[in-house]
Amino acid sequence: MTTRRPNLLASLIAWPLVLIIAFPLAWMLLTSIKPAAELFTRTPQWLPRSITFEHYTRVLTETPFLQYFGNSMILAISTTVLVILVSVLGAYSLVRFRYRGRETLAALVLFTYLLPSVVLISPLYLMLVKVGLANTLASLVAAYMSFALPYALWLLRSFMAGIPEDLESAAMVDGASRMGAFVDVVLPQALPGIISTALFTFILAWNEYLYALVLVNSDEARPLTTGVMNMLISAFNIEWSLLMAASVMMSIPLVILFAFFQRYLTSSFGAGGVKG
Amino acid sequence: MALIAPTILVLGAVIVYPLLSAIYLSFFSIYTPTLEGHFVGLANYRDLLGSGGFWSALVTTAIWTVGTLTLQILVGVGMALLLQQNILFRSLARGLVLFPYFLSTVVAVLVWRWLFNDLYGILNQMLMNAGIIAAPVNWLGAMPNAMLSIMVVGAWKFFPFVVIAVLARLQTIPESLYEAARIDGAGPVSRFFDVTLPQLRDVLTIVILLRTVWDFKEFDLIYLMTGGGPVNGTRTLPLIVYNQAFGLNQMGMAAAYAVSMMLVMLVFMLAYLRRANARSEADSAA
Amino acid sequence: MNQPERNPLRRPVTRRDTLRVLAGSGAAAAAALTAGCGSKDERTTLRWWSPQASPDQLKAYKAQIAAFEAANPTIRVVFEATSDEGYPAQFATAFAARQLPNLVTHLPSFAAQQYYAEGLLEPVDDVIKAIGIDRYFAGANEVYRTSDKHYCATGIGNTAADMLWYRKDLLAAAGITAPPATWDELRSAAQKMQRDGIYGAALPYGMNAMTSLIFIGFIHRAGGQVFSPDLQVAIDSQPTYDALAFFQSMREFCPTGASNFSWGESLTAFVSGSTATGIYSGRVLANVAAQNPAIADAIGCTTYPTMSRDIPAWTYNDFPCLLIPKGAPHLAETKAFAASLYQPQLYAQQMHAAPGHVLPVLRAVADDGFYRANPLITRYAAEVDLMTKAATAGHNLGQETAAHKPNLKANEIIASNAIAELVQRVVLNKENPKAAVAATAVRLAELMRA
Repeated sequence: MTTRRPNLLASLIAWPLVLIIAFPLAWMLLTSIKPAAELFTRTPQWLPRSITFEHYTRVLTETPFLQYFGNSMILAISTTVLVILVSVLGAYSLVRFRYRGRETLAALVLFTYLLPSVVLISPLYLMLVKVGLANTLASLVAAYMSFALPYALWLLRSFMAGIPEDLESAAMVDGASRMGAFVDVVLPQALPGIISTALFTFILAWNEYLYALVLVNSDEARPLTTGVMNMLISAFNIEWSLLMAASVMMSIPLVILFAFFQRYLTSSFGAGGVKG
Repeated sequence: MALIAPTILVLGAVIVYPLLSAIYLSFFSIYTPTLEGHFVGLANYRDLLGSGGFWSALVTTAIWTVGTLTLQILVGVGMALLLQQNILFRSLARGLVLFPYFLSTVVAVLVWRWLFNDLYGILNQMLMNAGIIAAPVNWLGAMPNAMLSIMVVGAWKFFPFVVIAVLARLQTIPESLYEAARIDGAGPVSRFFDVTLPQLRDVLTIVILLRTVWDFKEFDLIYLMTGGGPVNGTRTLPLIVYNQAFGLNQMGMAAAYAVSMMLVMLVFMLAYLRRANARSEADSAA
Repeated sequence: MNQPERNPLRRPVTRRDTLRVLAGSGAAAAAALTAGCGSKDERTTLRWWSPQASPDQLKAYKAQIAAFEAANPTIRVVFEATSDEGYPAQFATAFAARQLPNLVTHLPSFAAQQYYAEGLLEPVDDVIKAIGIDRYFAGANEVYRTSDKHYCATGIGNTAADMLWYRKDLLAAAGITAPPATWDELRSAAQKMQRDGIYGAALPYGMNAMTSLIFIGFIHRAGGQVFSPDLQVAIDSQPTYDALAFFQSMREFCPTGASNFSWGESLTAFVSGSTATGIYSGRVLANVAAQNPAIADAIGCTTYPTMSRDIPAWTYNDFPCLLIPKGAPHLAETKAFAASLYQPQLYAQQMHAAPGHVLPVLRAVADDGFYRANPLITRYAAEVDLMTKAATAGHNLGQETAAHKPNLKANEIIASNAIAELVQRVVLNKENPKAAVAATAVRLAELMRA
């Protein structure tokens, strides 16, 4: 493929919009390096008069932030891997195989979404206690899988539906098994869909608050969201500087992760899919 | 067939059982901390439907959902199209645009409340400096400002979901279709409407459906931003459900509200899906 | 038919590869996921919950835990932070699933009364006896007395949450010699001090708990009450209308955004110097020192003005308390640990983590040199003493005066936002006060009945 010249017109339109959207991030970043005395000046100042990293060091050394970070990582990665596995197989089944009740099943899966999660918490918690999983990351993985599976299934189904069957048939004519054709032909084509689903799931598991609050109470298994919030936000007081530092540290990994994976979103696998 | 089994298993255990519990609970009057109570039959539903609070909250929720969804779709598709182009520092732009979705809702709301603040928030300051307003605006404490503010913040927070899904789909649209259209003399606008949009239809159908359900259920953002105020200007149904469950300790009534919400969304979902299926059948028949 | 192009860098993923990766990561994940489930520690473990867990407070708690563990090697104490917003949800599920912590601190007194009435708490009479009831300020534990003559909880700290904070320099500039003591004085002071972009006051008018809690105080400062001592609805009376009228008249002296003010905004409005007066707890001291040291010498506080000089002061104290859930294991050890939290030096350290905001319940600690040696407490000794006294004599909706029966529905009444809605309807929407108050009275009666 020839490299294209940068599209200057699009850049001129896009970048101001991007900066407006990222404006709160800039504010968070700038606030996190301001000393506490500059937080609430009468006329708000953009730039800090002096820069300090003390809030970052305080968060990292005086709080269990790193432990929470590790927990969130494990939680998000496990959830994502499991959801992708289950939903890829499920979506494939919904798309390729014809069986009775296929449409009903798909609709039922989405139906599970309609109930507000608040009323599901108590029965879910009781069930997890019975199974012996209360207060562990596994309980959160189970809960988050239930949030993520419906949309993962539907999103992947729509991606896979767009992949013509001819390619798999051709592979199977060449001697590949159904599974082999699936792995070698369908997966690469569906990769953008899989990556975007994985991304959503990761973000959901990383940011979810209410279930993490109720299902997990020990610091050993506590993820970042509740850990940071509980420590730094109380009814009478908010530790603003520490909170901004912690929030920046919570967000940056996701930005990096995405910047790395977005290459695959734009991979040329899909683009040249059907020729002739 | 066996491929769909794990999905069914997980969903069955983790959603279906609690869902049936919730429906069951809605026929009782339950004190939340002990989950004990007594059977009241349809009394919860009777109170709910007759109270007026449910219906006004339903209207508020509908306004919020439609407003923020429209913004999310328009801005989402627009940004996806822009980010599809070969712009300067494209990877960085993509990362930054998605940042609102990465941010925890609790932190996002805190930051926005700070930005909206009339005393020390930068937004009012910048608008006054630019001469657009003369005095600080009460973004969150007056109507219709409060509703508009949460719609905009909701759009800001969730539009990256649309961007990701649409961007992924845009990658798989064959270049040949655009070439053909270009050869036929189509300009960029008609290329969008005649080539891009039909290709995006499937993904947009799903995305609109999902986002509608999620926006309708959205609790954290509105609760933390305005608490449902001023008075009941932004009091949506999810706020009522949470308040009933853990504020007033009436789990049965909360379940009744939740089931009612579910029925409303169910009606919408079925109607929407039927229309989407009909349209795609018409397309493939054409 | 062309084959799709393959990326030459990527060899086909075989099934064996996939299975191997899955098995490996699965094992690792399983180990990590079930961490926290069943500790291998042989010692008795006690779980301690609290929503006040800022880094400074955590340090103080760790010191107390370390001291107790050193004296009791067979016991281990684990501190788990909860949140002020989320504790009702956490508690409900914890109680329902019998996954109870051993000890909970810093919940408001009316939460303790409510849970005790539901049979969810152990009486803490033993703990109070172990600490020594005479060591408390007189009557400090009366708010925890239950109908069956036990104590449902004991105070772990006091907070005088609605003191009037004022700027001495602005008062002087406006020619006012003494801080206001009545509503009329306050209103005229606010009016005189409101200029150059500074507002007179920072009262809350938002749809949230702060508005409800603060306004209840105002009803009392007009000489009224929300409920009568035997818990009949008494809000429909003249003092409520007076309080509403005052709140309405102060609206123009509060920032535009006050209609969405909650604790954080109200605090920062005063601390940042944007308002001449504030309504808050001793948290102001630490925040001014950190965020706006320029005004640190110009701030002072007093009990909030009442409608007229003959109406006594009424201070809102949420009475952060220590309670013991019923059904948690190791009751004796828990009580021993609870008592150890009041060991004077360590207890003082706990107070130091939130100086002026969490005030001691033990008389000796309040006068103790070590406690008073804290820089902020030394600097503002007069204010801290005043707050300590006001808080000890303070009240909340759970028990509006010493003569009131405990109101077990206080938590739900606050959560319903009924009083905040009253304030918003009358002040923001300019609705007819009589109709609004009558509607609120009906709602309160319903909530009491439920």
